[in-house]
Amino acid sequence: MSSGVSGAVLEMRGLRAGYGPRTVLENISLSLAAGDWFVLLGPNGCGKSTLLDCVVGRLKPSGGDICIAGHSLAKNSYEAKLQLGYGCAPDALPALLTSRQCLEVHAGAKGLAAIGDDLLALAERLRFTPYLESFVDTLSLGTRQKLAVLLALVGDPLLIVLDEAFNGLDPASALVLKRHLRARIERRGGALLLATHSLDIVEHYADRAAVLIDGKLKHEWPKSELQQLRAGGADFEAALTEAIGET
Amino acid sequence: MFAPRLMTARLIRRNVNTRAKARRRIAAAAAFGLIIAIVWAQRAGVAQAIDWLRLHGPLWGGLAAVASAIQVARRRVLKRAEFAGSWLAAVPVRSSTARREALLIETLPATAALAAMTVLASSCGVVLAFAHAGRSGALFSVWAAASAGIAIGALVSYAIPAPKPVDLPPGSRYVPHSKVQRAAEIRPSLAALGAWPVRQMFAWAQPKMVARATILILVMMPLGTTADVAMVVIAVFAVSGGLILLWMAAVSASRWVRRWMAPLPVHAGAVMRALLLPTFGVMAGAGAVEAALLPALGVSYRVSAGAGIVTAFVGCLATLGGVQLWGAWPRQVP
Repeated sequence: MSSGVSGAVLEMRGLRAGYGPRTVLENISLSLAAGDWFVLLGPNGCGKSTLLDCVVGRLKPSGGDICIAGHSLAKNSYEAKLQLGYGCAPDALPALLTSRQCLEVHAGAKGLAAIGDDLLALAERLRFTPYLESFVDTLSLGTRQKLAVLLALVGDPLLIVLDEAFNGLDPASALVLKRHLRARIERRGGALLLATHSLDIVEHYADRAAVLIDGKLKHEWPKSELQQLRAGGADFEAALTEAIGET
Repeated sequence: MFAPRLMTARLIRRNVNTRAKARRRIAAAAAFGLIIAIVWAQRAGVAQAIDWLRLHGPLWGGLAAVASAIQVARRRVLKRAEFAGSWLAAVPVRSSTARREALLIETLPATAALAAMTVLASSCGVVLAFAHAGRSGALFSVWAAASAGIAIGALVSYAIPAPKPVDLPPGSRYVPHSKVQRAAEIRPSLAALGAWPVRQMFAWAQPKMVARATILILVMMPLGTTADVAMVVIAVFAVSGGLILLWMAAVSASRWVRRWMAPLPVHAGAVMRALLLPTFGVMAGAGAVEAALLPALGVSYRVSAGAGIVTAFVGCLATLGGVQLWGAWPRQVP
């Protein structure tokens, strides 16, 4: 049964952000509804990670507003972040805590009484359980990636934000995770914002996609367009090339 | 001659911010000016010191040779290990060029020391000549002895067998950690954050570093020191060193934790409490240990207790200050 929000899960209006004098994002507006799997594409250095940093509150935007499940991230960050799950980069995880402790800290920060059974079941399916007592600095890249995603899912958040979450994962684990995320956002009535370079995710899982170039959303594929592409067996790579105007 | 390693070093130097370059030049010029001013102000004492140095020329030469040999040998091992995994490792370079390039890079400490000695000796010579203090012959012989020592040390270093390359294991290897039962349930809590600075301290206190520091402390002790006094002194140094490491670890962990936990719905105060309270506990414990150790060195109980309290208090205060000053908040656009 869905327990999502009636309005947009993520609402972004006129977002501007940068580092010092350099503006990276210019006037970005985006809205994610319940059940949306939104893929953010774009060349290296175009601002994808900066956009995610703004959404999760790691970077303060210089303009615009971000609302998560109706709560403004700037004015009501506590309530907004309660509905947010972020999968950080594997090298941003604390090296000297164990995987179990990372999960405990995330669950403690979200005020949970216990970790959900579905999360432990996912850890088991990802073959992560044997690494619960291992220090993060002894884990391989793929195992750290699994931990980062599990941390993002602690507390069953409405908005899941993942940055290149499938990098380093073995194909079997990647498949398990993609199916789990699809099922989770449908059950929860939440949304997923994923920055990636993997076009296969757009072709098979995404509801919507957009390409970010030079800090601006250059083109967006709505659900209907992606469905048409899928139905017609069209190549998304060609559609992307056409959209960004490269030959 | 295409020498990729030297070319890379040149380019890196060129890429350094011009303001940083200017700051370095100003600092070097200021240091040089200060030395010259001291030599001028204390010219009589400097002249005497040069005479004394000349008398012990062979000793300084020998010491310079040992220092140079150790430095060059260490740099050689480090640079060879670095180059083996470098992005330039597969670049085709003539073997004669590669050898010359490696020699220049590996002997850089000796070359830099020779250059610094030459500049310093010639400047001192000029200053003393202006002051009519003479000593140019003595100065030259001191310079020659030290320079010869440095050069010989650099050559001898190539006869020193290369030690095993240091491959540092993950820091967690040195962290005391009690195994949790696999079936234990995951209990949501921020408490684990408290272990972070203490673990970081253990991870940084690698056994090799501790062993070297212990040798240094032992060498510093005067002849005739008894074993029990030596042990107490080592313990006092261990407590002090541990406190400094813990302070650095707390600041470093606070920077990391703020960035890692920025997307979470938790107040910074709660996170900092969870992170720092155990650190403060350890610092209070260190103060108590210090207070217990000092009476063994003949310090009164009252002074020892005071020293312990001050150590713990200053440690906690410095940690709080460090965390506020250097702990990174989420990035902000000005």
